[in-house]
Amino acid sequence: MTRTARTRSRAVALPAAAVLLAAAAGCAGSGGTTGAGGGDGRGGTLVIGATGKLPNTDTVIGGAGFEGKRLVSFQLYEGLTRYELLQGTDKPPVVTGALATDWQVAADRRTWTFTLRKGVKFQDGTPFDADAVVFNLARYLDKGSPEYTDALGAAAAEYAGDIASYRTTDADHVELVTKEPNGHFPEDLAHVLIASPTAVRKTGSANFAQHPVGTGPFSFVSQTEGQQIELAANKDYWRGAPKLDRLVVKALPDAAARTAALRSGGVNWIEYPNPDDIDSLKADGVTLATNSYDHLWYWILDTSKAPWNDPRVRRAANYAIDRKAIADKLLHGTADPAFQAAPRATAAYDPAGDVYSYDPAKARQLLAEAGVPNGFATSVTVPTGGSGNLLPVPIAEALQRDLAAVGIKVELRTTDWTTLIGAEAKGQVALGSDAVAQSTTLFQSEALLPLFIGSKSPFWTGHYANPQVDELLAGSAADADQAARQAGYRKALTLVTQDAPWLFVVNDRNPRALSPKVHGLVQPQSWFLDLTTVRVR
Amino acid sequence: MTRFLLRRLLLAVPTLFGVTAVVFATVALVPGDPVAAFLGPGAPPEARRELTERLGLDEPLPVRYVDWLGHALNGDLGTSVAGQRPVADLLLPALGQTLTLTAAAFLLVLLGGVALGALGALRPRGPGGRISGALSTLAVSAPQYSVALLLIAVFAVGLRWLPAGGTNDAFGPGGPADLARHLVLPAVAAALVPLGLTARVFRAALGTVLAGELADSLRARGLRPAAVLRHCVHNASPALLTIGGLQLAYLLEGVVFVETLFAWPGVGRLLYDALTARDLPLVQGGVLVVAVAFVGVNILVDAAHAAIDPRVRV
Repeated sequence: MTRTARTRSRAVALPAAAVLLAAAAGCAGSGGTTGAGGGDGRGGTLVIGATGKLPNTDTVIGGAGFEGKRLVSFQLYEGLTRYELLQGTDKPPVVTGALATDWQVAADRRTWTFTLRKGVKFQDGTPFDADAVVFNLARYLDKGSPEYTDALGAAAAEYAGDIASYRTTDADHVELVTKEPNGHFPEDLAHVLIASPTAVRKTGSANFAQHPVGTGPFSFVSQTEGQQIELAANKDYWRGAPKLDRLVVKALPDAAARTAALRSGGVNWIEYPNPDDIDSLKADGVTLATNSYDHLWYWILDTSKAPWNDPRVRRAANYAIDRKAIADKLLHGTADPAFQAAPRATAAYDPAGDVYSYDPAKARQLLAEAGVPNGFATSVTVPTGGSGNLLPVPIAEALQRDLAAVGIKVELRTTDWTTLIGAEAKGQVALGSDAVAQSTTLFQSEALLPLFIGSKSPFWTGHYANPQVDELLAGSAADADQAARQAGYRKALTLVTQDAPWLFVVNDRNPRALSPKVHGLVQPQSWFLDLTTVRVR
Repeated sequence: MTRFLLRRLLLAVPTLFGVTAVVFATVALVPGDPVAAFLGPGAPPEARRELTERLGLDEPLPVRYVDWLGHALNGDLGTSVAGQRPVADLLLPALGQTLTLTAAAFLLVLLGGVALGALGALRPRGPGGRISGALSTLAVSAPQYSVALLLIAVFAVGLRWLPAGGTNDAFGPGGPADLARHLVLPAVAAALVPLGLTARVFRAALGTVLAGELADSLRARGLRPAAVLRHCVHNASPALLTIGGLQLAYLLEGVVFVETLFAWPGVGRLLYDALTARDLPLVQGGVLVVAVAFVGVNILVDAAHAAIDPRVRV
């Protein structure tokens, strides 16, 4: 610490206490402009305040959820395919070619041939080719590969676990065979990230996270442990260099710290501002970007326990809650009410399926028909936080009030997200409640869908079983025709909406707050992001 | 003196054993599965089972503890489950950040505490005494969380004099001056309570000495007030050391909330994240490091105490 700084600390320390009480109230809202200026290039520096931890930068390991993937891993690396996130803000993204330009599936519905993109180079100059694909798949799947690690294998299993074999057919083609027919295989491959074989061999898998190299729009510069990851524009990116010069992702898990960082100019973009801060942020000139995506916040009701085993009771609960009040007032417009099982920003969504309006009279009538006219007592386990869970406890409290109005008395039991997920992974509800509150993304990616829906899904702690739903989901998932798949999903989710094994609550709008100096963001109907069009001025 | 230090060091060994064993058992018994947390909901059960086996998480708890201890004694703290990085690679930078913040805050505590305490002891009934009493009471009783938020609101958001958090300016090149700017607010927030306590204890200790026979006899021998004060401060300093040592230990543990609010990437925040993810190797490593630091600070304080006051050495 320098002498001047020390003097300054002391000078601040003592008057601070006195100044604080007098000056505090007025100062909080007085921040004028937000965000600091850009770099010396044309696009500036974007500094993002992220809500979670920083991911492990070695390809698929991540470990910081979808946030780490969208802000870091997907910026450094690409798979054979990618989500097309710039096609407009009014429809869910489609899967398009990245390191592959084209693909065909054979009549056996399991053998896929991918034509690889020519002329692509990794950020270290290594040319991308079919051998690179095979090298990376071996690194994930072949325990005999010198670059294989347990962590890579376990992390890759989510999306690459379905691959039975892989080989090059020539320099520009690879042939991948899946264990079962898998219609959404191209989408799965967007998550199977390809690293530079030269770079991996140089560092070995153990140290690759310190020097990661992919083909993505941004290349790795440095990581300050626990603090920030710095990336720079990949000038040779095959879709054209991104407009930004630098991209810095900072870990700011505390919502108040994120807002303060944006207001004080320490960052010029924050993920998920606290909904309560949104009005004052807007008043300060901050741009609020939101868009619907495939998110659902819901309660899984235990359909094996009375009276939740009666669909009329489950429907009654769905008519008893005022979702609009939660979305507009509690969440300040950062979410939309969910009147059905399918999230709005998915191909399975049909506006005609929005059946559960706010109708307490109908709820009481259904309860009476089900033989519980005076309501009943039940319980729900609610996480205190967690990725995508918005404000879990306040939302649950609002639902508790609405349900009490029709006679359903809910006891809220809170626990932390890791405990809740850990119990669910074993098919249990933490704290043994009759319901569990959680959120999920349902279609990006489709590979995750069977986890949440279907009687065999590990997260199906509500024990709801409808053979028709199972059949529709299994049949659709195997179909390589996207339109047919989506039609099947739509039918399946219509049945889920009717059976109401969940309490459908809200669809998040993925809010982020941007300094007015940040331009060019296309906020897609997705949890993921394309940052190549963003610039800071 | 050497024997005194050796005895203290030997006593530290069972303390460290005890702390790590208790924490190991506690974290392992908390519900929640580190592998499920790391792999996410999408992982197939086989992948989960396999990784659990590879990490040795299916072994009985005592076996896992002894295994961990054996490796730790050889300097190998294992691999973080959540980060898939060596624990030491994650811990050492965080420890550096925590020590930096603690040192800055402790400097404020000592300087502010001594100045404020002396001000009060010299003129207990004058305006100096009243100001000293009021400020130290305010420092001790102001709710820390609110004060930290107010510091941010006033000096970072309102006046924009200082950054709101973090250790470096992501837009600039960084450097020591940048770090110092980032240290001011978290150090002040962390220092307030211990500063107030230190001021009060030192004021009482110095006041007693100044009103006692020592001061009288020094004055009777014709020493100038400054010289009298110097001797009295020496006599009051064991009290300062005791409270200072306690406050230093308190700062080491207590900066967790400051680290969270000011996005300071220290051990506290790392441990919090590790606990959230049930990342046992990282939690164990973190606790070990904090325990070693804690015990080390106590030994240092005892040694300093012994150096000033020979009676302690016996």
